[in-house]
Amino acid sequence: MAKPDYVRIVEEVFERYKGKPLIYIGKHILRWDALAKVTGKALFTADFLKLYKNLVWVYSLRTRYAHALIKGVDVSGAERVSGVLKVITANDIPGVNDVGYVIPDQPLLAYKKVRYIGDTIALVVADDPYIAREAAERVHVDYEPLPVYTDPEEIVDLMTLKEKPHTSIHGERDSDIVAHYKIRAGDVEKALREADVVVENKYRTPMQEHAYIEPEAAISIPEPDGGITIITSTQCPFDVRRAVARVLGLPQNMIRVIVPFVGGGFGGKEDVADELGAKAALATYLTGRPAVVVHTREESIIGHSKRHPMVAWYRHAARRDGTLLAVEANILLDTGGYASLGPFVAWRTTVHSTGPYRVSNARIDTLAVYTNTIYSGAFRGFGDPQVQFAVERQMDILAEELGIDPVELRLKNILRAGDRTVHGQLLTEEHGVGLEEAIKKVVEASDWYRKRREYTGERGRLRKGIGIAVGWHGNSIGVEGADYSSVTLIINRDGTITFRTGLMDMGQGSLWGLVLIAAEILGVPPNYFRIEQPDTASTPDAGPTVASRATVMGGNAALVAAYRLRKRINEIASQMLECSPEEIVVEAPRIYCRSDPEKETTWQEVVEQSFWLGVPLQEFGYYRAPRAKWEEETGRGEPYITYTFGAIVSEVTVDLETGQVWVDRAYIAYDIGRVINPVGAEHHAEGGFIQGMGYALMEEVVHSKEGWIYNPNLSTYYIPTMKDTPREFHVFFVEAGYKRGPFGAKGLGEPSIVPVAPSIVNAISHALGIRFYEIPLPPHKIYLLAKKHGLTKI
Amino acid sequence: MSSSNGEYPDIPIKLNVNGRDYVVTVKPYERLIDVLRYKLGFTGVKEGCGRGECGSCLVIMDGKLVPSCLVLAVRANGSRITTIEGIAPEGKLHAIQKALLDVHAVQCGYCLPGVIVAVKYLLDRNPEPSDEEIMEVLDGCLCRCGTYPRFLKAVKLAIKYVREGKTYFDVKEAVEV
Amino acid sequence: MLDLWSLRGELAYVRREDGFVKIGALTTIDDLYNSFLGKERKYLGFVDLYKGFGAYYLRSIATVGGNIGAGHPLSDAAILLMALDAEVKLVSKSGERMVKLNKLYRGKRELDRRPDELIMEVRFRDTPDNSSTALLKIDRRHGHSMGYTVTAAYLELDGNIIRDVRIAFDSMGEPYPGRAYKTEEYLRGRELSEETIHGAYSVLESEMKRISDYRAPAEYRLDLSKVLMKRALLLIRDRLSKG
Repeated sequence: MAKPDYVRIVEEVFERYKGKPLIYIGKHILRWDALAKVTGKALFTADFLKLYKNLVWVYSLRTRYAHALIKGVDVSGAERVSGVLKVITANDIPGVNDVGYVIPDQPLLAYKKVRYIGDTIALVVADDPYIAREAAERVHVDYEPLPVYTDPEEIVDLMTLKEKPHTSIHGERDSDIVAHYKIRAGDVEKALREADVVVENKYRTPMQEHAYIEPEAAISIPEPDGGITIITSTQCPFDVRRAVARVLGLPQNMIRVIVPFVGGGFGGKEDVADELGAKAALATYLTGRPAVVVHTREESIIGHSKRHPMVAWYRHAARRDGTLLAVEANILLDTGGYASLGPFVAWRTTVHSTGPYRVSNARIDTLAVYTNTIYSGAFRGFGDPQVQFAVERQMDILAEELGIDPVELRLKNILRAGDRTVHGQLLTEEHGVGLEEAIKKVVEASDWYRKRREYTGERGRLRKGIGIAVGWHGNSIGVEGADYSSVTLIINRDGTITFRTGLMDMGQGSLWGLVLIAAEILGVPPNYFRIEQPDTASTPDAGPTVASRATVMGGNAALVAAYRLRKRINEIASQMLECSPEEIVVEAPRIYCRSDPEKETTWQEVVEQSFWLGVPLQEFGYYRAPRAKWEEETGRGEPYITYTFGAIVSEVTVDLETGQVWVDRAYIAYDIGRVINPVGAEHHAEGGFIQGMGYALMEEVVHSKEGWIYNPNLSTYYIPTMKDTPREFHVFFVEAGYKRGPFGAKGLGEPSIVPVAPSIVNAISHALGIRFYEIPLPPHKIYLLAKKHGLTKI
Repeated sequence: MSSSNGEYPDIPIKLNVNGRDYVVTVKPYERLIDVLRYKLGFTGVKEGCGRGECGSCLVIMDGKLVPSCLVLAVRANGSRITTIEGIAPEGKLHAIQKALLDVHAVQCGYCLPGVIVAVKYLLDRNPEPSDEEIMEVLDGCLCRCGTYPRFLKAVKLAIKYVREGKTYFDVKEAVEV
Repeated sequence: MLDLWSLRGELAYVRREDGFVKIGALTTIDDLYNSFLGKERKYLGFVDLYKGFGAYYLRSIATVGGNIGAGHPLSDAAILLMALDAEVKLVSKSGERMVKLNKLYRGKRELDRRPDELIMEVRFRDTPDNSSTALLKIDRRHGHSMGYTVTAAYLELDGNIIRDVRIAFDSMGEPYPGRAYKTEEYLRGRELSEETIHGAYSVLESEMKRISDYRAPAEYRLDLSKVLMKRALLLIRDRLSKG
């Protein structure tokens, strides 16, 4: 099949600009929305409430039991409360009562059964939020409690992978195993026989909460023609539209979703906005009034998806010289009460399960199972941080067993251009494989070898440690669906430019990178552009803002649109200036001929001329990634278009008396193909490290045996503060260009958290000479293990 | 909000916010944050947790830095309050706002109003705070995007600006980067 | 629900009177720090209290009366005041009475306070110049937090001899703060040294019962209590050796 035009354009731009100096790309330029944010003028979803009158507030009555049958619901008591307009239950839903993101397993309003503590049974709609909350106490629900499962090992046996007898959580399905992905490569048995050393261990990672500072919110507004407009904090406006249309039984073009400023997402606002949007829209549909759903912090923690907790058994086999021979793993992901993005997470987990290494023999089984914990879905990394923790711990332990330096062991086995991944995908220069360079940068900058020796000999109360971890992360969505993106560029009559895309900003700033790409190709400064907020009525569906895809996919779409517009600008200018189109130089506001710079005009004049000539100056840029390939039974194929690689060296100090850890320095390097927006890239390296540090040291959502949450607020769910931040950050970027990325760029949104936790735990392990197999490692865990090993006596 | 809750009385209170006097009617259970955001429109004040644990709702009230989500509206009767909308005159940026732009310390921006108000409060009391004092005040402002290292840089830059007599900048000057 | 803030004028004070330090119930943590308690060497424990008290912005609205009245084990002000052998003045229409802090708590969030009584004031004897105080806690992050456990100590030294000592913890086994009486008795009259303190560990262990919960196991809380006790006493010694 012939190469699509848009791919040809991306590759042409990659070649043309390779090694050339760039004007906007790679420069630190103040982002478009910085001023609005520092002045407090930026409007986030809940801020819009000040503009609407006659609102109704929607309060979700949630279940008292994490697992129970619902025998009956009586809302009459609540409906009688003054100020309550309606109490909505499943019976009132006009369309389909489901908001499942991947599989239709998640009712918006529970009616037969509840499966986790956040399940909503009724919506109390009142014109005062306090009335709504108080009235909810008068809804009477008849429950028949069922056994509560909070550990995936109660559902499936980790070693046999067989489902255990238990009270079915999703009885409508054959099994509570939601997904099972595999890799079968080479001959693992043979490799085990030939191995000089075999290392096998069990690993655990916790349920992590996104804890974005802006809680979820949705406002719905009735339109005169029966349509509904929704303003909500979401990463996927077109998915919200689809979900709301489905719940209300309305056509999609009657639902409009607008995304204002969003205060953090990290994957947590991928599917929950469908739920909030549908709740608000339902209230509007049934009352005819604008409706609002705003989560308190507790509702946010209890009521949205989480990072899948993982239990995994890993076995690595290697030769004496450090060559990896085989990797085996049984990986259990706890997807909680509902699947959410669990099936996709399980797939990505499997793809990345052996780490960025040459592994020809592998047997991997990943299972995602239901339990009665809060449902897990998308969270920065999407399964990769979980397995990369296990893999990088395994590598360090192997290094110890073999007496090889951990860096040397990595260098011996990492993927380089020309190698095949465990799925058999051949990685070439075209993909950009800069892992070795990334490792070398952090090893050199951190003075690894000296510190590794020096810290090993310490004997005092405070012990220093230095650790390394590497990681990889496939860009965009692989086999999860059709992978496309789009950007519309409109050059207005006065020469300013309107930039439209369905991709959104949650703080990550990738849209600015897209503008810099368009700016570079058009030859105009970024401040000519105005980015419109995502709006299903006017910005094109660019796919969801997830999977570290905005820069690559959105960037390519922006590139294609800008390329085509530039061609037309060149044509018109060449007519005006009488030189060939290839010679037109645009340095807006100036446009001139390269061969004769005296022949010049302005950007505004060329734009005006094209209006007179009837040459349209708007362009819809579209880019579609080639279909990913994946064989279900063997895991062979080409799962991702390319991979971002990273290496981190962390230095810690541990206090043996208390178990406290200070992360002193972080040396971070990512191969992102080409740095488009360095401010954004640096933010990711620093911010991703801090979030990953929280994952390593302090964060975990804890369920009671009954499925309640012990720590549903920010004083009991600890995220890092100013005082926890490492003193020093050293950030490096490697540019091993990806030929089909915009100017060679790859994504960084998720890769920037992947190697963090293992680098810190490897450092702590080094500091204490003790092996750790789980995170988080708060002081009490470290102290008690150190005590058990005789490092402290009290 | 609170249009029909007849069980509770309507209490008039007087506030001075960002230099102007306002009279609003509140329910006894309403919080200062509700009044500022929804009755008076100062949505620069953000709600992140409602429990005084995240710092996004900080305002300066009668010279003290307080979390507006933990102050009952009735308690604010007669108070002078400064929100982020009032830390600089119209058309101007305070040194800390300019510094945050200069060191590129803006990601999602949701925690920024709290940070900015806290730093304004700090610098008004002590234009040369030590690192420890800076950390003390900012420790309570949670930022999930992880902009912490740049906050510290920004405060140090703001201190420098103030020392050079530049407490306020024209907005136009600030964005010409 | 009654809001008492309008009584701030009457109930927010820190003063010396009749050999006591008297603190009004509506005195904020900020007020404490700004008073003489935040400046005198013997009351450095109040500086610790201030610096560790949650986030900075809570200190101007959190009150001493509120901290004592909440009856939560992790009430830093109550723990420090307990180490200062403080007593609380409870007032009602029928009169007033003094209750020692170490006798005030009865159960989980339960005080020896009748529903018609108000906590008006807390007071303790002004301590001698050769004494000082400290309050310590750590948690799973370095930023503002409640603490795994909280330790407060009062120490009076005569040269290197422990003339008097009082040690209070967030819990000795009950769901409210308590004093380590046996440990205090063991330490009184001995020479202050790391060895002496190590000797006190087993005494503390005999009178402290810790619980395990989702935040930490009992063993850790017990060990940490010993470590923080040691650090608090050595810190006070350090404070006394300086001006």
